[in-house]
Amino acid sequence: MSRPLSVLIVEDEVLLAVELGFLVREAGCHEVGHALDSASAVELAQTLEPDIALVDVHLADGPTGVAAARQIAEGQGAIVLFMTANVKRLPEDLAGACGVIGKPYSDRAVRRALTYLARCLQDGAAPGPPPPGLALSERFVSRWGVDQLAQAV
Amino acid sequence: MADSLLAPRAGIDDPFAAAVHATRMSMAIVDAQAPDLPIVFVNDAFLRMTGYRRDEVIGRNCRFLQGPDTDGEVVKMLSRAISQGEAANLDLLNYRKDGAPFWNALQISPVRDAGGQIVYFIGSQVDVTARKAAEAALEAAAAEQARTAQQALADRTALLHEVDHRVKNNLQLITSLLVLQTRRTQDDATQAALQSMLSRVSAIATVHRRLFQSHDLERFDVATFIRDLMGDVSSGREEVDIHLDLERVDIAAAQAAPLALAVNELVDNAFKHGLAPDRPGRLTIRVRRLNGHYVIEVCDDGPGLPETGEFEPGFGLTITNLLAQQLRATLAFEPGSPGVRAILKLPAHG
Repeated sequence: MSRPLSVLIVEDEVLLAVELGFLVREAGCHEVGHALDSASAVELAQTLEPDIALVDVHLADGPTGVAAARQIAEGQGAIVLFMTANVKRLPEDLAGACGVIGKPYSDRAVRRALTYLARCLQDGAAPGPPPPGLALSERFVSRWGVDQLAQAV
Repeated sequence: MADSLLAPRAGIDDPFAAAVHATRMSMAIVDAQAPDLPIVFVNDAFLRMTGYRRDEVIGRNCRFLQGPDTDGEVVKMLSRAISQGEAANLDLLNYRKDGAPFWNALQISPVRDAGGQIVYFIGSQVDVTARKAAEAALEAAAAEQARTAQQALADRTALLHEVDHRVKNNLQLITSLLVLQTRRTQDDATQAALQSMLSRVSAIATVHRRLFQSHDLERFDVATFIRDLMGDVSSGREEVDIHLDLERVDIAAAQAAPLALAVNELVDNAFKHGLAPDRPGRLTIRVRRLNGHYVIEVCDDGPGLPETGEFEPGFGLTITNLLAQQLRATLAFEPGSPGVRAILKLPAHG
């Protein structure tokens, strides 16, 4: 196996962030940092260069998660995954994020999604359709060849 | 009866001309045979309405009354009627001599000679500015009302989104708290109890996620819920083969949470008693309509019901029975072949 995926958690609800940290480790990933607001999220993404950032839409400084996600995805090249109760408020292109997990999520759904994303990143292609609870953006569906998978079935 | 207007009156040669002069209805006559239809007659009411002197209008075409905001389409309709020798009724925006606009409800009619040739057009004009203003005010009021209603709807939708968002976040918080405490707990029994509570809260969370995803907030799609629920359960128990046979069934949103909890308990029960850990097993969930009922079956292929037929109901079964009561449903456990078949049957439109 290759090195574990490094994960940045961007979440203003501290209890959720702590629990998410457990899930990240259980999924075989490595939590490198936690940001409560958009400014520190972008800053940590710059300094820590995580493989993946888990980003909530509502942060300590307001509904700034979308803008932060776009900056992290475009600037740092990290894979961004939204974790939000506000799925309907996300822009159509998901601000460059690879996908979204709707809150309230189950611990299983998160572990499954992280394992799946780790495979996608490692192979550059999806091992199969995304697991339940994870919705991929159009861009990543084609990047990881999920659309071709669907046609092959 | 004979027309008696032509009887002689003192100082009146032509009673029609006298009447037309005196009426408060504005009137004008144009020569249909002269080039560009010049005005040959206007009465005093016409002059009062337009503000011109008689010598300023005689000999001119009526279009001098038009101005910048006059509707070209209406003018075209007027020209068409005249060129085809037809009568017309139109509302036309005209301008007084001082430049003040007024709405002119114009009626024109052709006047023919004995040979049928059109010799004149006679037009009468009524100032309907007040009526037009009232109409415009009504339209504006209606538009404003529509805008207010739309705003109210937008506010309501935004509020609903906000409440939905908060409920979801709170459910997430409750879930995370339960998971965190489960992680810290050493005692097996406590941990099992926390796990059960977690699965119940997750079932409610799944309901909530689904309810607001659908376009119809009043109805709840049972089949989709079960697919979601099993998606979460199955990954914990890879050795169990899950078979779903789900007809599309919608229930009232108010029943969604109790039904979801009941189904969650039945599935949990099947995993605990019917599907021993590390043994390949098969779990089947069926949803179908049958004679005015919705029938939900959860079947395992385990050791079956206890021999005595009597078994001590645990907490899960107790709450399932209570939920069934609330749903006006019946709950039965029957021997499967093999295993146990739990059957929840609820009235289709309860």
